[in-house]
Amino acid sequence: MPEIPTGGPRTGVIHDLGYRRYDGPRDGSATIARTLFTTGLRHAYGLGRSGRSKVMPFLLLAMSVLPATILVGVLVLTPATSLPVSYADYTNQTQLLVSLFAASQAPVLFSRDLRHRSIVLYLARPLGATAFALVRWASMAVALWAFTLVPTVLLFVGALLAGLDTSDQVAGMLKAVVLQAGLAVLVAGITGAISSVSLRRGFAVVGSVMALIVLTGVVTAVQAISASEGAESASVGVGLASPWSLYSGLANAWDAGITTQVPVDGAWVPAYVLVTLLLSAGCLLGLVARFQKVGSR
Amino acid sequence: MTSAVFNPTIATLALQALLGRRRFFLLLAFPVLLIGLVAVVTALTDGAAAYEILPRLGYPLVLPLVAILAASSVLGPEVDDGSIAYLLSKPVNRYGIAISKWLVALSATLVAGALPILVAALITGDGTRATALFVGAAVAGTAYSALFLAIAAVTRHAVIASLMFVLIWESLLGNLFTGVAWLSIGQWGLRIGHELSDQLPDPANLPWAIGASAVVTLVGVWFAGDRLRSFSLRGED
Repeated sequence: MPEIPTGGPRTGVIHDLGYRRYDGPRDGSATIARTLFTTGLRHAYGLGRSGRSKVMPFLLLAMSVLPATILVGVLVLTPATSLPVSYADYTNQTQLLVSLFAASQAPVLFSRDLRHRSIVLYLARPLGATAFALVRWASMAVALWAFTLVPTVLLFVGALLAGLDTSDQVAGMLKAVVLQAGLAVLVAGITGAISSVSLRRGFAVVGSVMALIVLTGVVTAVQAISASEGAESASVGVGLASPWSLYSGLANAWDAGITTQVPVDGAWVPAYVLVTLLLSAGCLLGLVARFQKVGSR
Repeated sequence: MTSAVFNPTIATLALQALLGRRRFFLLLAFPVLLIGLVAVVTALTDGAAAYEILPRLGYPLVLPLVAILAASSVLGPEVDDGSIAYLLSKPVNRYGIAISKWLVALSATLVAGALPILVAALITGDGTRATALFVGAAVAGTAYSALFLAIAAVTRHAVIASLMFVLIWESLLGNLFTGVAWLSIGQWGLRIGHELSDQLPDPANLPWAIGASAVVTLVGVWFAGDRLRSFSLRGED
């Protein structure tokens, strides 16, 4: 007869069949969160998953790096004093690829656990639904940030090797990196909230594409029409409605090398910052609420 | 025994899958958005400014997105959760399945994609231009729905693959390289519409546009049926 351990109350989290206990050091919630974050980050790029799930993220990454490679080649072979496109504008020009990456990979991080109910297993561990949602979101945001960072760094290294003015390039690159971080936070929140509500991958993707690409198309069209009609403040105001117009508006206000239909200045700048922050916070709250609701069922 | 080419039961089921619950509202959002936007801009400025929305947003983005949503709704969920195995275990002609599902996706594309383009174009004035755009949208919508159905029968990542075709190949590369027009469904539709109204662009030649649209449609539906004949279920990846 095995002796049933009697030392203290049982602390097993899922089940305790009376086997020999683990007495070694236990890592706390911080380690669980860190591991979950790393796994999420790897899964966003299909690492540690099947070969077929690596195709889409790396294809999109390759397509977003290709123009940067060509630009660096042109820069090295021809005498030039500046990059033909600023770092922040490069992300703006490749926004289709960034949006598609976000739309295709957000369901991987946010839909599958909820849809297959494996969320229950995760939440049986000490990490709560709120922390779980936040860690998932952090993985997505960092994955997106890395996606925009790779071509930026490539352009930066190319520009320095081609002998462009170092201080200009460093300033432009740092501005772009900060803007991209804001963009990643916002887009990860939007796609995460959509994917956690719409659990079928196809519909989550279409929903994200509507929020990122169709909405931006509508906003750009309205901005162009209002600018040509002379309604300049309307053109700037409409820009508050989509993530990409927020990004280009903020970059324009910060002099990071993006020209918008109408320059964003004056009191519009705090408005743009505020809307970006509120939108990110709202998406994050929605995401947390959704995980709490599904996790408690 | 129903006929081999069209199976009303499967078509009804596909229609239910398409209109079920929230999907219907997602599908409805596109025409409401497009017509609403064009109507507001026409009211505030004039028809000429509002018309610009159609060739820039309505035709190249909304129409293919509706087609993607329709094609992936009629086939995608079944492939996704594996319940297509029950359908394929029945002695039903696979091409019949493909054709029935395609007809449902096609009608949805025409009603929620091409018809709103006609209405929006009529709001901006010039009936000939609106008819031409509608004909183009109907032709393109037919080819799109067949192509996307074929993609949905091949891969679980059908929506993303279809989006990449539309957004990266047709929009992004199509704007950079004019030659892409020869291999772009949207441009073929515009070329056919160009016969009715000169206001539409003239990107390729007419026999090519008609022939290529017909070939993509027929081969797309045939290929979807062919994939269903030798369908193999795979796990989540």
